[in-house]
Amino acid sequence: MTRLNLRMFTILMVLAVIMAACGPAATPTESIPDEPEAPAPADTQPVEAIPEGGGTVVIAMAAAPVSLDPADHRSRESETVIRNMFDGLVTRDNTSGVHLQLAESMDWVDEQTLEIKLREGVKFHDGTEMTADDVVFTFERIINDNQIEYPEPHTSPRKGLIAPLESIEKTGDHSVVMHFSGPWPPAMQLLVHQQIVPKAYIEEVGTQGFIEQPIGTGPFKFVSAQPGYEEVVLERFDDYYGGSPDLAPAGTACVEKVVFRVIPEASTRVSALLAGEVDIITAVPQDLIPNLEANPDIQVTTAAGTQPKWIELNVNQAPFDDVLVRLAMNYAVDKDLIIEQIYGGRAVALPGPLSPFNNFANTSLSPYPYDTTKALDLLKQAGWEDTDGDGFLDKDGETFAFTIDTIESWRPLAEAVADMYRAIGIDANVRFWEYSVIKPQLQAGERMAWLDDWGDSAFDPVGHFEAKWHGFVADTPYGRGNFSGYNNERVNELTEMGETTPDETERHTLYDEAQQLVYDEAPAVFLLLPEEVEAASVNISNWAPASDSRQNMHDVCKSE
Amino acid sequence: MKAIKVLERILATLPIMFGVAIIVFFFIRLTPGDPVDIMMGQGGAISTGEIEQLREEFHLNEPLHIQLWYFLRDAVQGDLGYSYVLKRPVVELIAERLPATIELAMGALFFSLVIAVPIGIISAVRQNSLLDRLSMSGAFLGISMPGFWLGIVLILVFSVYLHWLPVQGRISVGIELEERTGFFVLDSLLSGNLEALKSSLLHLVLPSITLGAAVAAVTARVLRSSMLETLRSDYVTLARSKGASEWVVVMKHALRNALIPTITVLGLQIGILLGGNMVIETVFGWPGLGRMVVKAIFDRDFPLIQGSVMIYAFIFVMASLIVDILYTYLNPKISL
Repeated sequence: MTRLNLRMFTILMVLAVIMAACGPAATPTESIPDEPEAPAPADTQPVEAIPEGGGTVVIAMAAAPVSLDPADHRSRESETVIRNMFDGLVTRDNTSGVHLQLAESMDWVDEQTLEIKLREGVKFHDGTEMTADDVVFTFERIINDNQIEYPEPHTSPRKGLIAPLESIEKTGDHSVVMHFSGPWPPAMQLLVHQQIVPKAYIEEVGTQGFIEQPIGTGPFKFVSAQPGYEEVVLERFDDYYGGSPDLAPAGTACVEKVVFRVIPEASTRVSALLAGEVDIITAVPQDLIPNLEANPDIQVTTAAGTQPKWIELNVNQAPFDDVLVRLAMNYAVDKDLIIEQIYGGRAVALPGPLSPFNNFANTSLSPYPYDTTKALDLLKQAGWEDTDGDGFLDKDGETFAFTIDTIESWRPLAEAVADMYRAIGIDANVRFWEYSVIKPQLQAGERMAWLDDWGDSAFDPVGHFEAKWHGFVADTPYGRGNFSGYNNERVNELTEMGETTPDETERHTLYDEAQQLVYDEAPAVFLLLPEEVEAASVNISNWAPASDSRQNMHDVCKSE
Repeated sequence: MKAIKVLERILATLPIMFGVAIIVFFFIRLTPGDPVDIMMGQGGAISTGEIEQLREEFHLNEPLHIQLWYFLRDAVQGDLGYSYVLKRPVVELIAERLPATIELAMGALFFSLVIAVPIGIISAVRQNSLLDRLSMSGAFLGISMPGFWLGIVLILVFSVYLHWLPVQGRISVGIELEERTGFFVLDSLLSGNLEALKSSLLHLVLPSITLGAAVAAVTARVLRSSMLETLRSDYVTLARSKGASEWVVVMKHALRNALIPTITVLGLQIGILLGGNMVIETVFGWPGLGRMVVKAIFDRDFPLIQGSVMIYAFIFVMASLIVDILYTYLNPKISL
């Protein structure tokens, strides 16, 4: 499919050029902000956003939700739709700030106990009031085994997102207490991803009835869905309590109806936007952005991405068992050129093992500069030199050759990097895989270099450090995505300490050291972090993509 | 008599379906990639503790022959299991998606026949004329043009620049249609909803042309060559010498016989129309079976793949049966 996409883009580009040449001159109108938009400060918010005009907003998504049950999915598309129908205790703004939503206050009694006071007068879409019972029910449905009974009893796939939660108890009609197995610093960032469901309703109609007609406390209520959630129609909930008071505008939603439609092919999404069939499109591929920007009726906006890309080098096999070689690999890549040419400037070079937008990114680190002299120098120190004059480096009679394994989606990036390696005398090739096919080989340490990304929208280092930079430990989440074989005792220790240290300053110190270690030992070539690009018709206002791919339709207005 | 023969043929498909089921069962399990592992995803969507539990739930820990036994035992009772990823019964998922796919296939078939039959006949009757040459080069283009490319070009021209036809989907946003059969055109007719009828027909045009282009091209070429052959045969000469009009000669004597190879080819093309449309479904955002199957393959969603492939196989077998039945009408000398 991706190969097909690429071909299609190329063709579309050629056609677009021809048609642009015949069409009227277009002027770019939208400038791209360098920084993701900061949330509006609370004191500048209007008193109440009065719904005006209403209208229907159609959003084209690349993939369909798998379920509209907030407890029964692990997909961003599902969450995109769900979070317009369901609110959580807390929510996130378009960057990484967490704000109270259904909770009125949240206080840590001690490191393991969280006291939550719920907002009163919040109504579900069926008119019943949300109480502590619903909140307890919601979390027990997730953390206890086999609570979801349809089609066969199974445990919520969201349990892993809140694993340290041991129990939750009601302490009043509008207050609950959460007990955690230990200190859990990223609690707030991860509670964003759990939405409150109505106890009485689910007990009455069951999971099957609930997914046919979901009911939440969110700004929109469910109207209808096409099979496979190819289209989901929502309408404004007029009894909405207003949402997080920190995030302007508070109040009921601006538009009357929201329609989520699935259009898997990127060029079709772009065409649908150009033809005026849809108002907002997600996941705009970099190479189609110029077409959209040239159109005065379209606005293109970006948000900081959450999926850093790197090449993990197998640290247990020659030549990458030598840190000098790994450093050279980092110096040999011209990231700025790649960002400019492949990403149209819509990406940032990775300064180390974490996204620079992570709340705990080590700010003293900067991306390895492009310096081929230094790279060759390091390689020479490691014994790699072109002694036989064939244009490739060699050592003990062996040529420096390796394969970058990746998936089809990253073809342009992988080929550009391989070219840069060949330019300094390393015989680098690229091979494309289906991830599920190569994964066992990666885990077994059988591959040399793996180029891919790793998503984490929580803006907390736990996700990336636990999965990528901690050594692999069977039957734990540690190192589950560690394909370099990197295993540094100190980094492991710091990662584990970071997970349970509640004090923020202390956590900064721990993660700063861990990042510095990974940076210096370079188990990977730290490449870049692309931005999330979305586009909308100029009729749409108050709209901005969020880093966690949420489509917050509550704020959006549409003018005819 | 014919009814019994037809019934016999339908029964004869059972061993074929059985064979297909077994082949699909083993082949998807031979493909590298583990469904539970894929479900785990980057975020560790299922914890390491749950992995074993899920494998057990899906019977993936059992020996293959036991798994096969479970599958066949349930399949005989019409239960194709439930999708690992979508967590819904496979039969239900297929039933929801199949109408969209069939509707598109019918649209494509209609389009290709409307194009191919006149072109095939005229090119044969006026062999080597300009029209013949033009339409045969057109057919050549139709065969060689990749569907996705044609689709994108059609979208750009007719939707983005001319605004004549919709870009994607089955019906416009905001049109309410009471669903009865899942075939939108039929549902609009049944509920007398003219707005929905117009919208669903307009939405069918571009995908039908894109999907039907290759079929039209093949059909036109086959019809032309078989027409050329029959037009040169003795009974056509006889008909002409009897003084029959050229219209009767062509349409009655020649066409009927020329249709046999055409229908054979068309029967095979039905498979392409139904099974080969995942690309078209992707380009036009058409919510059909093909797209679901592709996703199921990437997810290694075994029950969903098995169920869908069996449905495809069943349709293929039925298409060839219908072709055989049609033969008996076109040429009474052929029997089932």
